[in-house]
Amino acid sequence: MMGFIFSVLLLSGIAAGLALILVISEKVIQNYGSCKITLNKGKKELTVEGGKPLLTTLKEQKIFLPSACGGRGTCGVCKCRVLEGAGTLLPTETPYMNDKERKEGIRLACQVKVRNDMEIEIPAFLFAIQQYQAKLAAVEDLTYDMKRFRFELLEPDRMDFIAGQYVQITCPAYKKGVDEVSRAYSIASDPQDNHFVELIVRRVPNGICTTWMFDYLKAGQSVQLTGPYGEFRMSDAQAPMIFIAGGSGMAPFVSILHQMRHAGSTRKADYFFGGNSVRDLCLGQQMAEFEKAIPSFKFNPVVARPQPEDNWSGQAGLVTEAVKRQYSDLSGHEGYLCGSPGMIDASIKVLVGLGMPQDKVYYDKFA
Amino acid sequence: MKQSPQDKNLERMLRSGRLVAGGFLGTDSRSLDEIIAEDAAVLHRLGYSVSDVAARMQDLRDLARPALGTWIQADEELEVKSEDYKGIIVCPWPHEGRYEKRITTAQRLDTGQSISWSDLNIHLIRDHGFFEGRGAFFRIEPEELIKVIFKG
Repeated sequence: MMGFIFSVLLLSGIAAGLALILVISEKVIQNYGSCKITLNKGKKELTVEGGKPLLTTLKEQKIFLPSACGGRGTCGVCKCRVLEGAGTLLPTETPYMNDKERKEGIRLACQVKVRNDMEIEIPAFLFAIQQYQAKLAAVEDLTYDMKRFRFELLEPDRMDFIAGQYVQITCPAYKKGVDEVSRAYSIASDPQDNHFVELIVRRVPNGICTTWMFDYLKAGQSVQLTGPYGEFRMSDAQAPMIFIAGGSGMAPFVSILHQMRHAGSTRKADYFFGGNSVRDLCLGQQMAEFEKAIPSFKFNPVVARPQPEDNWSGQAGLVTEAVKRQYSDLSGHEGYLCGSPGMIDASIKVLVGLGMPQDKVYYDKFA
Repeated sequence: MKQSPQDKNLERMLRSGRLVAGGFLGTDSRSLDEIIAEDAAVLHRLGYSVSDVAARMQDLRDLARPALGTWIQADEELEVKSEDYKGIIVCPWPHEGRYEKRITTAQRLDTGQSISWSDLNIHLIRDHGFFEGRGAFFRIEPEELIKVIFKG
């Protein structure tokens, strides 16, 4: 009996000893020490502890690369260019890279570990991104599948953004089997109302984040935002503008219209907003107020298939058809589009077909 | 048959909610291989291949896309629509594959039956023979799919 107990104790002791050696060796082997990360050819230099993924390391230094999956390598959003120090492309990255990106040294920041000095390039606007603690102040139903969420910023308590930019919201692991993710939404609020951020969100069937926002998120609840991201914005030109959107693509235009109203803009803007049915339309009252405040602005709701019981007297058909009916030459115009890839592709074709230069078509494609 | 580490990882990913709420296997207790094999047997019994089915789903999707989310007639007894949502979804298998969140719905005018699928479903069926597990949000029953998208 004693021999048995001794054997068990001996084996347990050996196992514990081996585990200890493993822990110690991991600490020693994976101790990369202090590493230097040079960003954008010396614009910024960071001295960091090695050993963590680049995405996490940058986040700890308050540089927030966009990422939808929370760093698990399933979204492919956190791309950045690594000029030096990343090693070879990993099998976990290859699904997200095309040939051009591979040649340019594009990497997934969540997969690349900081093991030595590195040189990387990120879009310049990312230096201004901050993380915000906020709380849900109000929710408004816009249609049967769209809501407007108003968040009060707490820490920091204001966000300076340009109309057209977007934020990322962190969706927590709100139920079993769902991991934390982040999703991007265009800001739909007035840039001067900068203690708040409003988002217009359309429910995605079985979508992880929209299910949380629609069914779980309650007024007063804390949320985490990062931003502002993105380069979709109104140009400084004075050319007349065509806005085209559908669904939650409405969001950046609400913000842009606030900006135009504050600036007393006289720039001509014709906004075509498409819905499949009358019940897909929203914010008619707010658009009427913008029309009053901005005399050069016109809102054109377009319903693809109005039903007799809708008593719809506005424009019918596809939003692109409505543009074609109204314009024969858009060579002097600029186009601003926000919505689904299908709608954007169709709109680009129509606008360019009507003479608008391709480089004057600006868009924010849902992706 | 014993699963390889790669297969185990894949099944873990399919059961998790990392890519879609509720995972790709839903409440199905069958293994991935069993799900694929049983659905393949249904298709075989009905005289279709995964390529036939995926090609028809893709054709209907392509037909519906220009209508930007509105119903259009595919034939005298079938109408389809294709709606885009915000976001991208990746294939859970370890290869290149990112798909826009687009949902196509086909509805038979004679029977009223309808069925919906995503762009990712087309890929999963064509390239992996995978119709998802029972209880998954985008599970497609092969027999129901065939009844809706193919004539008679």
